[in-house]
Amino acid sequence: MKTNASIWVLLLVAYGAIPLTLGSNHYVMSLLVAALVIGGIALAWALLGNLGGMVSFGHSAFFGVGAYVSALLTLKAGTPIVIAMLLGGVGALLASLVMLPVLRLRGPYFALAILAYAHIFKIIATEWTAVTGGSAGLSSIPRFPTAFGFDFSGKVGSYLIILSVVLIFALCYRLIRASDYGIALRAMHDSEDATRVIGVNSVLLKALMLFVSAFMTGVIGAFNAHYINFLEPDYAFNGLWVTLPIVAAIFGGYRTILGPLIGAVTVYLIDQLVFKSLIPYGHQLILGALLVAMILFSPSGLVPLLRASVRRNHAAG
Amino acid sequence: MLELILQALFSGVLQGGSYALIALGLALVFGTMKVINLAHGELVLLAAYIAYTVESSLGVNPVFAIPLALLIVCAAAVLVYFLVDLIRQDRELNSLLLTYGIAIILTNAIQLIWSADIRSTGSAWFQEPVVIGPLYSMRSELVFFVVSLALMTGLWWWLSRSWYGRAVRAVSSQRDAAKLMGVNPRKTELVSFIVASILASFAGVALFSYGVIQPSYGHVLTVKAFIITVLAGMGSIPGVLVGALLLGVTEALTVTLASSALQELAGMCLFLLVLFVMPNGLFGAAGRRG
Repeated sequence: MKTNASIWVLLLVAYGAIPLTLGSNHYVMSLLVAALVIGGIALAWALLGNLGGMVSFGHSAFFGVGAYVSALLTLKAGTPIVIAMLLGGVGALLASLVMLPVLRLRGPYFALAILAYAHIFKIIATEWTAVTGGSAGLSSIPRFPTAFGFDFSGKVGSYLIILSVVLIFALCYRLIRASDYGIALRAMHDSEDATRVIGVNSVLLKALMLFVSAFMTGVIGAFNAHYINFLEPDYAFNGLWVTLPIVAAIFGGYRTILGPLIGAVTVYLIDQLVFKSLIPYGHQLILGALLVAMILFSPSGLVPLLRASVRRNHAAG
Repeated sequence: MLELILQALFSGVLQGGSYALIALGLALVFGTMKVINLAHGELVLLAAYIAYTVESSLGVNPVFAIPLALLIVCAAAVLVYFLVDLIRQDRELNSLLLTYGIAIILTNAIQLIWSADIRSTGSAWFQEPVVIGPLYSMRSELVFFVVSLALMTGLWWWLSRSWYGRAVRAVSSQRDAAKLMGVNPRKTELVSFIVASILASFAGVALFSYGVIQPSYGHVLTVKAFIITVLAGMGSIPGVLVGALLLGVTEALTVTLASSALQELAGMCLFLLVLFVMPNGLFGAAGRRG
């Protein structure tokens, strides 16, 4: 009951209070939109890590592919933005198909293969000039349209879109986790061999989680393309699109659903407001240090830690 | 055309020497600790930048940077080892994230110290051309190819003849059995880290003396080293050499026949091809498949 109530309050704040009070402040709204973009990728990344048991260093590939597919569809084929964004997710899903042979390998191979793989798309986007515009990039990518008498291309509109997308993804994550697949995946986490013995196709399940995660990341990438209206390979496939979400997910706790989102908002805001003013170039150094510190001292993240301390307080009171 | 291809093969083989040193370090540490050090390429790059500093501030040949590079890179690697050793739960997954974090720290520290500019050697002695029949190379390429062959021979001798080398192999193949035989696995892991960083130091100085370096290159090196170990199949030293030469030649041929921008793409295609066709690598033992 109590968690339900706090979620409703959070929703009310996110949809009501924030746009009404901060809506006119463009700087704050753009920070929030960027934090939610990072949060969305962090959520997709954590889904793959938590349910699929796979660490990915290549989600920037899915982000960039989603962005390019959606941007090109709207620019060259005139596809409506909503459909183009979904197809951007599908594009990212198709890009993840190449990773399938790696899923059969044990150990750290997936993490490393996808790290290597992320480079490919940046090279393709740079070299395939006829379609992608090469390193000059794509400009004047269509903005979000006006619908129901509300202009979604502005900061508040974009904020509402990305907030809804991320919340829908969080809901999907929850449904997957509660489904039969989720139970099988959790069993797989304990012992993959035992799970296979009782007839669960573990490679198929892992592949499905990879598809879901890639699709989500692609849609977020597509949103970002229409939000900033400009794309170039160095930006779309930048390593930051995976570094920040990883730090965020680990910081918040990647085994929870809300952890990556809370982590993303916290880490991104601190990074932009504090770290960046300390070290303008190379503030990622602090992000790296944060990641190292979290892995060493609190690998399950802050959300479970806070929850545990709340429970302890309850017990004491 | 034939001459061009021969030249590409030759350059690729020479480049493969340094690649092999980097990949061997990665494979050694993976063998003993079952940990992939994602900061390995950054350690190599650190050595390269030390060579740059020594050359530009003292005005001497980058070779003289090797002792200093050995000292600093080994110290950094020992630090990485102790951090990895601190991980208590789920080491396989958490060590990847930890070394990824260290790689980010190193890349950005290198960028802060040496700036993001591209650097290359100014040593005239190293850049002088050496012509063997129809084939051309820089003196530095040839020198460091010989150095890497010597180091690999040394490594082979060390692994097969010396006590610690045998201990490294023992811990790699059967950790518990090695423990029963009186091998201290943690000490052995540390030794493998140090040997890996010695190889990395030489490779870093080599890379600087015949190529260009920039802060983001460390990441590329880690990826290349990993591709080579997959080509080789984990745990095979001759395999690593063949894999490194194969990658070097593939890259050189791509640059000659297509474009230098596609160099990394070619390595990646080679990698995916091997994964599809021979998931255990060219020389690896069976058992990587889940």
